[in-house]
Amino acid sequence: MLVAERFSAFSFVDRITTLEPGSSAVGRYTIPVHLQRFPMCLVAEAIGQLAAWVSISHLGFRRRPVAGLAGETLFFGSVTPGQVLDLAVELGTCDEDAVAYGGSARVDGGLVLELRHCVGPMLAMEEFDAPEAVRGDFETLCGPGAPAARIRALPQPEVTVIERVPGRSLVATLQVPESAPFFGDHFPRRPVFPGTLLLDRQIELAVQVAREAAHAGPDATLAPASVTDVKMRSFIAPGQAVELRVELQPQDATTFTAALAARVGGKKVATARVAVATQTGS
Amino acid sequence: MAEKEITTEEIAAVYPKVAQIIADALGVDVEVVTLDVPLIEGLDAESIDFLDLVFRLERGFGVKIPRGQIVEHARGDLSETEFEQKGLVTEVGLKRLREFLSEVPADRFQSPMKSVDIPRLFTPETFCKVVVRGQRAAQVAG
Repeated sequence: MLVAERFSAFSFVDRITTLEPGSSAVGRYTIPVHLQRFPMCLVAEAIGQLAAWVSISHLGFRRRPVAGLAGETLFFGSVTPGQVLDLAVELGTCDEDAVAYGGSARVDGGLVLELRHCVGPMLAMEEFDAPEAVRGDFETLCGPGAPAARIRALPQPEVTVIERVPGRSLVATLQVPESAPFFGDHFPRRPVFPGTLLLDRQIELAVQVAREAAHAGPDATLAPASVTDVKMRSFIAPGQAVELRVELQPQDATTFTAALAARVGGKKVATARVAVATQTGS
Repeated sequence: MAEKEITTEEIAAVYPKVAQIIADALGVDVEVVTLDVPLIEGLDAESIDFLDLVFRLERGFGVKIPRGQIVEHARGDLSETEFEQKGLVTEVGLKRLREFLSEVPADRFQSPMKSVDIPRLFTPETFCKVVVRGQRAAQVAG
């Protein structure tokens, strides 16, 4: 099963069309039409994966970035299945220890997401995947491209709310599955729960709390405007129960900022802040 | 490798901004950041925080700080084997480290000291000095 899942179950770049080694790249990803939705966090994942390909190839497939930091993620809308993401990344630093990058995703020329000040610690590729297989995948991406729509379904990790102070805070548990197709791709030799999936669920919870705080009616639209200071401190492994905590700090009438924290066994494994904007209908 | 001593005035000039950057990186109030607090024991910093901190300082001060520069600079003209053997800092290396991290109280240098434990010595002042060195290097380069 793992062989079939690698390079498919959690891969969000179909083709690299332009590459300046160690410096920048342009690529694309078609959101499969058979998916029900495509979270913006996975758009960020696609940009991060393109940056990863640039850094991995620059370091001869010996190192790869895993998790890390995302200083600022700006959301400019949403995307729908069937759309084509035009991805672009620019690397600052790219060495044995770290890759620093920023990037963007556009749909039909319109900016949908921008990543700024991201840093990925570079770790030994051998620990996560077979270097030669990764080299082969990279050649596919730079050549004919990978087959589109190779992901069958998006992971939906289960979240249970266990404590709630309406409009103020929320505590929930995310149960990471023991096994899932995406672990065969992220990563074949060492399964790690993707930080972007964690963030997607955390943002969803923050929007719920903001909706309560805003006393938003059914005509109100609430959506994340930005996520700042994302920091993945430790890997989350299959089967772990992750405590998610959202604390809201009202700023003004239309924007709410929430502190997000994730813990495993009491240890903080991830932190971030999200700004949720409200757009009340007239 | 003789280095012109970093003065308290140079440190004071960069400290307020360094303290704010440390507070932002660690998600703590700037009031709890003092010049001599150990970042790992005192403020729960982890290795990912040091990576974060280095990039934030680079952006904040417009200087270049290669990763691992602190230990590299501490080593100076000593070879790797003179500085460290089998994961432990040598006596010569420890002497060099004490001189280099002169802001750190003497009783915090254990002997033997594992080289992976060197970051346990780092304080905000250590990073002020990193910034000052970066600024000096930028002046020389530019």
